[in-house]
Amino acid sequence: MHDAEGRRTGAAADAVDGVVPRWVAEPASQEGVARTLAQAGADGHAVLVQGGGTKLGWGPRLELIDVLLKTGRLNEVVAHRYGDLTATTQSGITLAETNERLSAHRQWLALDPPDRARATVGGILATNDAGPHRHRHGAPRDLIIGMTLVRADGVTAQSGGIVVKNVAGYDVARLLTGSFGSLGVIVDATFKLAPLAEASSTVVVELPDAKVAVGYAVDLLSRGSTPAALEIATDPLRVVLKFESLESVTEAQAEEAMTLAETHGGLGQLLEVDAQNEFWTAHERRVFADDGTLLKAVVLPADLPSSLSWLDEAAASRGLSYVLAGQAALSVLHLRLTGPVEKQAALVSEWRERLTLGRGSVVVRRATAELKALTDVWGSVGDTFEVMREVKRRFDPRATLNPGRGPGGL
Amino acid sequence: MTPEFIDELEQRIGSEAVVRDQSELLTYESDGLVSHRSRPGVAVLPRTVEQVRAVVRACHEAGVPFVARGQGTGLSGGALPHPDGVLIVMTRMNRVVEIDIPNERITVEPGVMNLEVTRQVAPHGYYYAPDPSSQVICSIGGNLAENSGGAHCLKYGFTVHHVLGAEAVMPDGTLVHVGGVAVDSPGLDLLGVLVGSEGTLAVVTKVMLRLLRRPESVRTLLAAFDSTDDAGNAVSDVIAAGIIPAAIEMMDRTTIRAAEAAVQPGFPDAEAVLIVELDGHEAEVAAQFEQIEAIFAKNQGWGVQVARDDAQRGRIWMGRKAAFAAMGRVSPSYYVQDGVIPRSRLPEVLRRIRQLEQDSGLTIGNVFHAGDGNLHPLVCYDDAVEGQAELAERVASEILSYCLDVGGSLTGEHGIGADKACHMPKMFGDDDLATMQLVRVAFDPEGLCNPDKLFPTPRLCGEVPGPYRAHPAEAAGLVERV
Repeated sequence: MHDAEGRRTGAAADAVDGVVPRWVAEPASQEGVARTLAQAGADGHAVLVQGGGTKLGWGPRLELIDVLLKTGRLNEVVAHRYGDLTATTQSGITLAETNERLSAHRQWLALDPPDRARATVGGILATNDAGPHRHRHGAPRDLIIGMTLVRADGVTAQSGGIVVKNVAGYDVARLLTGSFGSLGVIVDATFKLAPLAEASSTVVVELPDAKVAVGYAVDLLSRGSTPAALEIATDPLRVVLKFESLESVTEAQAEEAMTLAETHGGLGQLLEVDAQNEFWTAHERRVFADDGTLLKAVVLPADLPSSLSWLDEAAASRGLSYVLAGQAALSVLHLRLTGPVEKQAALVSEWRERLTLGRGSVVVRRATAELKALTDVWGSVGDTFEVMREVKRRFDPRATLNPGRGPGGL
Repeated sequence: MTPEFIDELEQRIGSEAVVRDQSELLTYESDGLVSHRSRPGVAVLPRTVEQVRAVVRACHEAGVPFVARGQGTGLSGGALPHPDGVLIVMTRMNRVVEIDIPNERITVEPGVMNLEVTRQVAPHGYYYAPDPSSQVICSIGGNLAENSGGAHCLKYGFTVHHVLGAEAVMPDGTLVHVGGVAVDSPGLDLLGVLVGSEGTLAVVTKVMLRLLRRPESVRTLLAAFDSTDDAGNAVSDVIAAGIIPAAIEMMDRTTIRAAEAAVQPGFPDAEAVLIVELDGHEAEVAAQFEQIEAIFAKNQGWGVQVARDDAQRGRIWMGRKAAFAAMGRVSPSYYVQDGVIPRSRLPEVLRRIRQLEQDSGLTIGNVFHAGDGNLHPLVCYDDAVEGQAELAERVASEILSYCLDVGGSLTGEHGIGADKACHMPKMFGDDDLATMQLVRVAFDPEGLCNPDKLFPTPRLCGEVPGPYRAHPAEAAGLVERV
């Protein structure tokens, strides 16, 4: 049975973390989202928001889902202002579809988190998820310039606008970015875009250990190299560079990276132009495609070598194995961890103990219910937690939206 | 403000840090927006975070409003004191706490000047990217409050893209640590909303900044155009070619002549000049430079000047950055506006401004950050002529409405403050503003932290804002406006 908001009873196929929602709503408009939330509020129902469903396993496990709100019917590119390098999309469109459309004018929304064919713009914003191009272009929160959101009480509000430079009012769009759906439902978003580069070159450099690998990356950057992506990955340990610019420039920069690799005792390989896409897909899939726990760890750049060697020992001594890829210069690491669950929990907790607040963090993203029961997926969020709780309370006093799943368990 | 409350402050932080003398308090009655004046009830000049907390706690207990102030260069009255409140002057908190080159970070107190950050790290080959034109004299705390930009935001973004963390005193005196020195911290992005909140959410006492490596190569060129349309088209063509320069600036005939009269940068006498700066990898800069020369030629650009060295580059930028102050050479007074439009709408908005110039009879000079559509129209008038100041103010407001007509913004970098609070309903609906208020009350339920700023209030919006007058520091040639 469907009503105007595409509301029906939940089925086994809708289950999230094994919990079947009582209702599923799939509104086709902003007004429909507003009515769905107003109704849920009136009914005292908790609402879980779903885009492509690629990250529903992230965050603490929910015990009960009253309404699963799917954004899939909000799937339009609302405007592509290519002369202004901006675009507005609805939240339920996938990133791949968005970029397919934007490519008509040789531009793109410069984000490349995993699973782009399924992950939606709204889900990527809600989780502030990013990939290798974060090195040059930043995370979603750096690219968003405006947003329409529906609050838990069903009220629709705008933040920001359609211009890239704008300091009028609080940046509520940025506050919602990375809020895991805890403050409001994103219905559309406006971004600054990047031009698509004329050419790209990919260089893969295998290096003997983490210290040498990081040393190579630092040395390369200090010589004026400007890669679009600078990844560190295992296994084998390597630094992967992507250059994007005019063809003559990417060739020159790739050549410099290859030459410098030799002086660091690395073994460099310049990929054939046609082999690049396949390589980058594999690079992503090695961490994200298979089963296992997904961790996101952030450390300080100078601590990266010691963190990596500690991780190697900590995993080996516990009989755990892992695959890792991340942004070397930013020191943002994505790991897929496999092995005994209690050992995984112990590794997470020991890693957190090594990190001073504000100087690094380990967040459990995807995990089994068993691991989620053993460990706090967020870790400490520090002395601002009370402020976050107050923000949540003001935006969503009845705890309607994604209750318990927001950062810090909001 | 009762004498007893001031006594209490003196007891808590020492009389040396408290200014209660009425004539001394005059120093603080305005920021860079001198048309708005209000003498604070009392001013305090803390040296430590504990003193800031003591003051804020005292205010919280007594229900007294407080306003934090940096160097007072802001152009929207964000640091306008509250007549019955405490002005917390942060200039003595000006220590560089930690320079961490291996991690490309610096931690500073809010009173440190913007340019000082770059001076500290320049020997290591680094710099701090946001570069408001007042960078010699504006402080990092104020930059954070306003989310300051500058000429190079097109490629490098604003303050919000370069602040990783902050220590802040909440309006109830609690000390919190927002973000950190790592690029991500778990939790809501409170930092993203604190930056640009114009001092209405908390008092920042320490700031962690990201540093950038000096680019390998920098090239600056300038070209003249016979119409602002041609110059605008050249900007569009640069963007369409997939080039994101570090900066693209435009000046029109009025501001070119003013700059020539003031600092003689050697600009051509033309309807418009564009200044483009490219930076990055040597090979990329060289290739894009050729593309831009071709785009300029195609759009009838002439008189191309290429900076041969740092001295010539400095001269070109001096001409650009002097444009505001130089208007004093061609007009006794002027009103400076800050608005944003989608960059592709530049020609049409400029034509409307030209028409407004004819209709009003007032000269309007234009300088813009053309790459990101940030306009700074300068409405010239003569105070001695009856009614002209008011006319200039109306003309400046009219230009803002042009910006909003094409989907732009009330402000690109100067902020809303006291100046434009009453304009906010033209850009945002009641629900939008109410949503922002949810943030406000989460941080500051009593509304004591920089009240009457940013949000429209009936009391505030009954008053008519006055015209622009030179800030004393500006008049003395110490600062320039963006």
